[in-house]
Amino acid sequence: MAKEQDMTQLSDRELTAVASNPLAMDGIEFIEYSTSKPQALGQVLEMMGFHPIARHRSREVLLYRQGDMNVIVNAHAGGQPRAVEPAEIPVIAAMALRVRDAAAAYRYAIDRGAWIVPSQVEVMELNIPAIHGVGASRIYFVDRYREFSIYDVDFTLNPGVDAHPPALTGLHWFGIVQYIGSDRLVEWTEFYTELFGFNVLPDEQRYGILPKGRILESPCRSFYLQLIDPKPGIFDPEPVELFQRVGLGTPDVLNTVAALRQRGVGFVESQGVHSEARGALTQSYLGGVMFELVHDERS
Amino acid sequence: MSARNPGMATVVNATLPYILDFGMDTISLAGTLPAKLAAVRDAGFSQIMLSARDVVGHSDGIDSAAHAVRASGLRVTGFQVLRDFEGLSGHLHEYKVDVAKSMLEMCHAVGGKVLLVCSSTSTHATDDADAMARDLRKLAMLALPLGIKVAYEGLSWGRTINEFTTAWDIVRRANATNLGLGVDSYHIFAAKTGLDELDFLDPDKIFLVQLADFMWQEVRTLEERIATARHFRVFPGEGVHSSALADLVLRLERIGYRGDYSFEVFNDDYQQMPLPTVAARARQSAIWLAEDVLRRAVPLPSQMRLQRTGA
Repeated sequence: MAKEQDMTQLSDRELTAVASNPLAMDGIEFIEYSTSKPQALGQVLEMMGFHPIARHRSREVLLYRQGDMNVIVNAHAGGQPRAVEPAEIPVIAAMALRVRDAAAAYRYAIDRGAWIVPSQVEVMELNIPAIHGVGASRIYFVDRYREFSIYDVDFTLNPGVDAHPPALTGLHWFGIVQYIGSDRLVEWTEFYTELFGFNVLPDEQRYGILPKGRILESPCRSFYLQLIDPKPGIFDPEPVELFQRVGLGTPDVLNTVAALRQRGVGFVESQGVHSEARGALTQSYLGGVMFELVHDERS
Repeated sequence: MSARNPGMATVVNATLPYILDFGMDTISLAGTLPAKLAAVRDAGFSQIMLSARDVVGHSDGIDSAAHAVRASGLRVTGFQVLRDFEGLSGHLHEYKVDVAKSMLEMCHAVGGKVLLVCSSTSTHATDDADAMARDLRKLAMLALPLGIKVAYEGLSWGRTINEFTTAWDIVRRANATNLGLGVDSYHIFAAKTGLDELDFLDPDKIFLVQLADFMWQEVRTLEERIATARHFRVFPGEGVHSSALADLVLRLERIGYRGDYSFEVFNDDYQQMPLPTVAARARQSAIWLAEDVLRRAVPLPSQMRLQRTGA
């Protein structure tokens, strides 16, 4: 399609694609953790196959990478309301979505009721638009991921580092698990379908070894969100809603488990949850950081 | 003597399990937020409807107000009130979104789960139903991450939406999970909306019911409606609409409504009476509704059977 072609010239097929992927989403650009112990989390990430790549120019923020996956470790206390303040136990503070036009995606979400996150950029830094997500988390929109990246501007490469290390055993983003409160399944589903165009997968379509809750597929069909509500019978009047863990896809789970074990990663091996061809769950590190492996042929 | 009410003995009433879904509204009471919380709790209520003014006007600030509410042990029935939100455009819409965000943040801070929104009275607002629905859907989305439901109420002097029937039409058009209806008996009686219309509501989409009586049979003009609503309401059973109120509550029960009932009683006289005296009147009203109207104090035959089986 020629670049100058406008919306009036789009075919029906292309219009359907626009309607089903309104932000032209194209996967996850990065996942951000917040912690006051960035080195400790860095060690866990390195065990998982990530490499330290770069440091932020003005803040205590580190970039880790393997293959197409970027992880930001943020130890900078922003002091903003409704934001994650770095604490000893790392938490998933943000996900960044790749979109065709970040400003347009931001506008689209705000027009439909998303909360703006006020930006706090320093001189010559990129202003990456964000909205509030679950709990104190944020959802960023990034459109510079093809010809040049956001890290080229805001980060300084570590000396002598390979900026694009290959992924261990074909690991790639599979998705994020979100814990939600009682009776919140329909509401959170509406949040992701209305603002981003996610689709609900049928209940029989399941991945991995922890088949709970509801799975939403990204409109670009490249990753998933899993919404997990509290166990029946447990009433918590003030449930903590948050991004609980990330899921990593691999074409061969048991091969990945073996490779990660060699690097020192422990896995949950109980009667209910254990490593198998469908998936595996790492032990919890630093009081709450765990990774789920899911069988997924893409790499 | 009580430190909370100097010069007056505090009467602490037992909490009756069958009035747990009835609550008072702070707008019926004069005084400070802590005094209101204490009066409502001491009258045996377990919940309270809060107004943004209670929180904003608290002398020690919003955080302290939120702490006082949580420490009181009272559940927050809802938080009021966002006015004239729907149907605006351009900078007026943007302005109202900012106001809504502020209300939602306060509602969240005090542990409120329901934000009350009254239908617009603004002459600047459109009467296009789809535009109103779109705005309310956006408001519901703003409320969603905070775990707040939005109850939309048809104000009897609303410009376009002035009955619960038309408010229900907008709620259905908006089709958002956390957007539902706020039903206020005053506006039903003032607008003379037929109670049969309640049968067409989905009980799960009624997020709040507010009850009030008043002293005259008819309120003919809009001005009279506004004046009566804001100054002359009384607790259910105290006015001339008691039988209609009983009918309303019974109909809501019959269609399956199991949510809260809050006494939305604006009354200038109650504003200059001791808080425990006003709260005692509210308690009498709750007991009247629970015992005489809904007959909850009488054990149901099925419950007696269950007890015998278990013995």
